[in-house]
Amino acid sequence: MKPYLALIKIDLKLAYRQPVVIFFTYLFPLVFFFGFAELLRVKQGGTISYVVSMVLVLGILGNGLFGAGMRTVQERDNNILRRFRVAPITPTPLLVASTFTGWLIYMPAVLLILLLAHFIYEMPAPDSTMSLLVLVSLGVMSFRAIGLIVASVVNSMQESNIIINLLYLPMLLLSGATFPITLLPEAAQYVAQFVPASYLVTGFQGIFLRGESLVDIWPSVVALGITFVVGLFLSRQLFRWDKEEKIRAAGKLWVLAVLAPFFLLGSYHIYSREHMKKAETLWRSLQRSEKLLIRDARIFTGDGRVIESGAVLIENGKIGRVYEDETPDPEHLNARVIEASGKTLLPGLIDMHVHLAAPGGSYSEPPRTASPEKAMGRALASYLYCGITAVKSVGDPLGMSLSLREEVSRAERLGAELFACGPLFTTPGGHGTEYLKNLPAPWRDIAEKELLRLPGDPEEARRQVRELKQAGANGIKAVLETGQAGMLFERMDTAVLRAIAEQARSEELPLVVHTGSAADIADALDAGAEGIEHGTYRETIPDELLARMAKRRTAYSPTLSVIEALSELAARSDRLLGRTLVQQVGPRGLLDGTREGLLTGGLPERVARVENWARALDLAKENLRRAYEAGVPLVVGSDAGNPLVIHGPTVHRELQLWVEAGIPPRIALQAATHNAAILLRAEQRIGSIRPGNDADLLLVDGNPLEDISATERISLVLFKGERVRRSALFQQE
Amino acid sequence: MDSDPIIRVRSLTKSYGSLQAVGGIDFEIRAGEVFGLLGPNGAGKTTTVEILEGLRPRTSGEVFVLGFDPATESTRLKDQIGVCLQSTNLPDKIRVMEAMELFASFHSRNVHIADLLRRLQLWEQRRQYYSTLSGGQKQRLVLAMALLNDPQVLFLDEPTAGLDPQARREIHSLISELRTEKRTILLTTHYIEEAEKLCDQVAILDGGLIISSGTPQEIQNRTLGRSVVEIRCETPLPDGDLPHWPDSDAASFNADRTHLSVATSHPARTLVEIVRWIDQHGVELEDVRLKRPSLEDVFLELTGRSLRE
Repeated sequence: MKPYLALIKIDLKLAYRQPVVIFFTYLFPLVFFFGFAELLRVKQGGTISYVVSMVLVLGILGNGLFGAGMRTVQERDNNILRRFRVAPITPTPLLVASTFTGWLIYMPAVLLILLLAHFIYEMPAPDSTMSLLVLVSLGVMSFRAIGLIVASVVNSMQESNIIINLLYLPMLLLSGATFPITLLPEAAQYVAQFVPASYLVTGFQGIFLRGESLVDIWPSVVALGITFVVGLFLSRQLFRWDKEEKIRAAGKLWVLAVLAPFFLLGSYHIYSREHMKKAETLWRSLQRSEKLLIRDARIFTGDGRVIESGAVLIENGKIGRVYEDETPDPEHLNARVIEASGKTLLPGLIDMHVHLAAPGGSYSEPPRTASPEKAMGRALASYLYCGITAVKSVGDPLGMSLSLREEVSRAERLGAELFACGPLFTTPGGHGTEYLKNLPAPWRDIAEKELLRLPGDPEEARRQVRELKQAGANGIKAVLETGQAGMLFERMDTAVLRAIAEQARSEELPLVVHTGSAADIADALDAGAEGIEHGTYRETIPDELLARMAKRRTAYSPTLSVIEALSELAARSDRLLGRTLVQQVGPRGLLDGTREGLLTGGLPERVARVENWARALDLAKENLRRAYEAGVPLVVGSDAGNPLVIHGPTVHRELQLWVEAGIPPRIALQAATHNAAILLRAEQRIGSIRPGNDADLLLVDGNPLEDISATERISLVLFKGERVRRSALFQQE
Repeated sequence: MDSDPIIRVRSLTKSYGSLQAVGGIDFEIRAGEVFGLLGPNGAGKTTTVEILEGLRPRTSGEVFVLGFDPATESTRLKDQIGVCLQSTNLPDKIRVMEAMELFASFHSRNVHIADLLRRLQLWEQRRQYYSTLSGGQKQRLVLAMALLNDPQVLFLDEPTAGLDPQARREIHSLISELRTEKRTILLTTHYIEEAEKLCDQVAILDGGLIISSGTPQEIQNRTLGRSVVEIRCETPLPDGDLPHWPDSDAASFNADRTHLSVATSHPARTLVEIVRWIDQHGVELEDVRLKRPSLEDVFLELTGRSLRE
């Protein structure tokens, strides 16, 4: 132990006597820190953590490659190691002391940078400071090990200069330490997967921007750890005291042994694309931390209030402040300004009734790479494109829904936030089962398991609700539907419905019930449903039921769009396909195939057999108007996925139909925002413009409170603070 | 009574590929002896010493130092010996005292550092950076570091190479001191005077082989080396041929015939004859000198080459 301590002590003293060490360890990072900070104008958001990551990686690279590598070569070349050689020690204490000292000298620089970032640029402390410090330490030690290995295999200062720069420059340019990997050409992104430093960059950014800990980035941690151990071991084995001892050319290949963990890691990541995706999401997190000021806008807050001219400050992906009477100074706030005069700012819209896996039409020739996952992901992108920042799926494959929901919430995928019920509860022969009827038997079994729950008795129903809760569902959807002449269904037993409702309540999952008739609504209310989907378009909803809904605050989602779509289908009209937003979201093949089927093909059973769709739409509108007058809480749902009910644009159509039905635009918009958030039990986070809520915002030209069609004139969509590049949304895999 | 040898070398060879640096040498060094390995650059001195110090593996042969085999017990051996390598350095910004303390920490046993520094006249410099020391001070520091563990065996590889005469004299007196402390010293040098002055035993190495060994005296006596008698007179010696003195070569004069030198295998007899002859000519003697054959001459005679070639 004595030699170790003595060596560490002297290494420390020697380091602090070298101006070059002081400069490169402490001043150099500061220059970069302030330089990058000012260049990237970090005061406008959490970008500072990005800058800190860059500076830390630069420091670690310099400390490891130059500090450890060059110094060892220098001491060998100057015959200093020769003197140590005659002392009774092995290379181990020298190597260990060098590594430890390098770490010890670097840590104050780390703390200095963190404190400056915190106090000057208001960088929030990372969730796991421990993880950060451990990762820095691991980085320093493994890069020092790489430096030592380089020192072990070079024969002269010149050689070490070349090799160290050969390692340093690519690490600088391709690791994301100087600019984001995501912005590099694809080929360079692949190369970056083999660059050890890029795992440090994403590691730091993950800790800063996404609150990750070492556990989340364990493969990088393990790779760095292996590099450290292997590097130290090999540099001990290859240690040369004397410049006269030369290493053979083949010996230089030992460098590769140290980098081996990163060859493995890189190969895996090229295969999985996981790390590239992560770099992308980190870049996204960064954009989401931008500080923005939307000013001079008409603000519809979502909960019914309108500010005729105000401003909204967005920071770290949240709404920071809402200015009503004062005009904030963007310079003082360090915020990027979005001028919004003549525009209206709304909370992002919410569609409470979608089936993501259903396409909304038909392809004449389905794309070869089509899959339900892709279709669902694309649907979420379509919603976001249209300013709908959250959707509730009420009947979709559970597993896919949950994984999509995760991808979106981890910012790996850009799309509307997903609330998923997963499969819907119905009964054998009930509504919902008819979609599977024509599938081949093995597919039907799989589809049934993913899409439907068919409880035979109350006990089974309870168990199934419990299981969905455990799986992570956000709500429960059940079907009460008898159909009508020409298309009849088995109806769920009310005892089963009650069991579902009770279990859902105790699991704190909101239950919504698909209804087809007034009797269905009555039974759903009896059971304790929190939302009525569709209501009925076959008869008038009795006042008594509306009064009950109003009193119990049961939400009503009339889904006028799907009724309109069915009537258009019956009329073989392609009018809905020609709408501007529909033309934008496409996809082309779907629109063309649907039009073709519409004009030439046979109509679906359900459409063909029910006679008067136009009358049905009128009835539905009438029920909606009466529900509004009765004071029933309203929410907007489109039932997208049905033919002609296109994911995304239909929400705007739904709002227009509501206004046609006599609903004031303000009420319709509130139904599509704050009310929806309440039924999602997410009103503390989304659905209204107030401080602390997620910055999910829709900025439109004009005033939708006067002309509801203005919601389609989208100027800007903000999702979790990120200004969505709408044109790039459909380029995602 | 002859003590057991502290260092024993038998049939030692060392090859680098096809090149044989040491070609099978034997020698023994006894406690308290100063043993000189003498030879020109490339003779195999440093290789031999580094094998003994445990810094290099040998190709074949037996080596024992203090009872250790340097090839397998080098760490334990290094703990007990003192070594001055040629041309070693320390970091520029290490202070004299720090260097001493650092290297002391590597040994299991240490002398008092302050005393050692005082003794080597480095006490005044103890706070100085290594880079500010003079060549002689650096060499004394190296010597001081070699003495940190109070070693019974010292290896000094060319301890005075590159030093000015003053510094060299200092090192010489230090080595003489160490000799009086009964330490065993293995010294390599290509300075012949150094070996003559400091060593009890000498081995002359050339081309990896010991070509002669013994006390400096024995070596000289064993060779045909001739002494030279040199006479200086106050006035020129008379013109004309000089007599041919017995056992000697022809004498030679300088230009004004005041200096006379004669090589002889029996210097005492020749000297008496010459002095008598000069006396006969009534010339006053100013100075008489007798030059013994040096190891340099011996080497020249043994190899036909100069040591410093």
